[in-house]
Amino acid sequence: MINVLSTNITSPLGFSTEENYQAVRTGASALRCYGPKAGESQGLWGLPEPFAASLFSEEQKSRLAIDGYTFFEALAIRSVREALSHISLDVASPRVVLILSTTKGNIGQAVRYYPSEAAAMIAKAIGVTTTPIVVCNACVSGLSAMLLANHLLSASLYDYAIVVGAEVQSRFIVSGFQSLKAVSAEPCRPFDMERNGLNPGEAAATIVFAAKSPSDRDMTGAVGWQLVDGAVCNDAYHIVSPSPQGDGLTNAIEAVMKGRDKQQLASVCVHGTATLYNDQMESKAIQRTNLSDVPLSALKGYYGHTMGAAGVLETILSMRATDDGIVLPSKGFTELGVSGKVSISSEPKKTDKHAFLKLMSGFGGCNVAAMFEKTTDNRPRTTDKAKLVKAHTVKLSSEDGMSLTDIYKQQIGDYPKFYKMDILARLAFVATEKTLSNSPLKEEDKKPAIILFNHSSSVVADRQFFDTIRDAENYFPSPSVFVYTLPNITAGEVAIRHHLCGETSFYILPERDEALMQQILEATLAQTNATSAISGWVDAESETCYECELSMYNTTS
Amino acid sequence: MEQLIKDLKLQIKEALNLEELSLEDFDADAPLFGDEGIGLDSIDVLEIIVLLEKEYGIRLANPKEGKAIFKSVRTIAEYVQANRKK
Repeated sequence: MINVLSTNITSPLGFSTEENYQAVRTGASALRCYGPKAGESQGLWGLPEPFAASLFSEEQKSRLAIDGYTFFEALAIRSVREALSHISLDVASPRVVLILSTTKGNIGQAVRYYPSEAAAMIAKAIGVTTTPIVVCNACVSGLSAMLLANHLLSASLYDYAIVVGAEVQSRFIVSGFQSLKAVSAEPCRPFDMERNGLNPGEAAATIVFAAKSPSDRDMTGAVGWQLVDGAVCNDAYHIVSPSPQGDGLTNAIEAVMKGRDKQQLASVCVHGTATLYNDQMESKAIQRTNLSDVPLSALKGYYGHTMGAAGVLETILSMRATDDGIVLPSKGFTELGVSGKVSISSEPKKTDKHAFLKLMSGFGGCNVAAMFEKTTDNRPRTTDKAKLVKAHTVKLSSEDGMSLTDIYKQQIGDYPKFYKMDILARLAFVATEKTLSNSPLKEEDKKPAIILFNHSSSVVADRQFFDTIRDAENYFPSPSVFVYTLPNITAGEVAIRHHLCGETSFYILPERDEALMQQILEATLAQTNATSAISGWVDAESETCYECELSMYNTTS
Repeated sequence: MEQLIKDLKLQIKEALNLEELSLEDFDADAPLFGDEGIGLDSIDVLEIIVLLEKEYGIRLANPKEGKAIFKSVRTIAEYVQANRKK
């Protein structure tokens, strides 16, 4: 359990939480249609197919820009600075950590390609001196980042966490989602009969968390809110398609609602991307967890899918609306188009309750549920670190001279999907196979946490995808390459292979830092019910330059 | 037609990285999806759509249209023959 100190949303609808909330209350949306003009073959970013998106205007961009920083970095910095302006926090203290949530960071820019480099620039600009951690868990990144803050603060590793989610849209991201036929040319319609895809969105959103409850001096509008609990559960079904019955999301909701009364919930703020499969799956999970009569709030009709920012942004809006006694209406929704029983409306609803559940699901099969509550119970709850024992370690390096394909052929050989994976997923796959063959999972333990770290994110797959969208003559964006440009797919592949339905997370660090990795792992296991973990460093800079050290861990009491 | 089927088999094998599928065992009438046949999934369908555009200039905007077309290599070949632009 951790306390919210301050928040900010910087989006095309406004540059503060309050501006954004008031805009949403009037039903505003920055979603616009972008596409080739009549008689032209290409639209924005040279893309041939139309799409609707929520993007910053040129005027807004020039107001947000900061000399020497990319727009992505400036956006995150502006958001964090505004959030910090409401409180007095010694950001340079070794007790403050910065957690950046993004799916593709600086992908459209020419500099600081690695997300950890962007995070380092942001940390320096705001004055944070500890190592910034980048959470790269596809669409669930924002919620994952807040849960990581909960783990780290509850383990007393830091006193404060600045969680910033940010995403800037580009040719890369939009063409990728278009290749997956997941983008709508019209403003999206979450949970609606006519829904036909998501809209990419740009935004940054920040929540500053404290381990201890804030003093009166620190009071801002968001004070009193706490992140009380959360769970991450993998579907172990498919790297892109969600489990049709919402298995992973059901498990995550059940874990969070265990021992809690649904009567206390003002709302469930759903992921609601408006793709056919996501919303259908979510409706199933909501029905299966007996939440059908709790009002839903789907917010992507206002902002589109702001990806790395979405979890943080939608959580802030839900806190603000709940404070106002309101469940925000789901813009774009008119007629129910999912088979699971849910309560969703395009009209605002009144509420006198003070808690909500936030849900997100994403590629790589990961699902997150988190509970936010406004309580007067401000006792800090810290947990002991889990004691971990390494059961087995596997090291793989390109310097050993043996190709991953050779290792697969000689030592594994019964999983043809190996050939479909990118280098990063192959590396984690081979290392996990070798680890588990030496140290098999116990029958009762099918929920080990899979927590992977690296420096280079998915740089090899990124390059391969760029090749498929190079220019107008050679524009054939490859869906199967694009999915691997989300590094957490790697953990998803391992989960699918062994039907592992526990947490899957992917974190990016400036460099291999065993001490920090160990701290994150211990703090995570202390906060979750996992009794084992597959964790370590998985990095590939090219097909022939890679490094991996993966271990199987068990907890001891 | 037979040549087109042969070309498509090779193109599909390469585009989808079906490394362990031998072209001799790749039956033109075998169902491409489900456990009975080649066992392709939803991303594979999308990748075949890209392949058809790249190699044959066919644009299939709605993947739902693909259900009948993507039954087997033979049904794809028939569709390509009727609709190819290059």
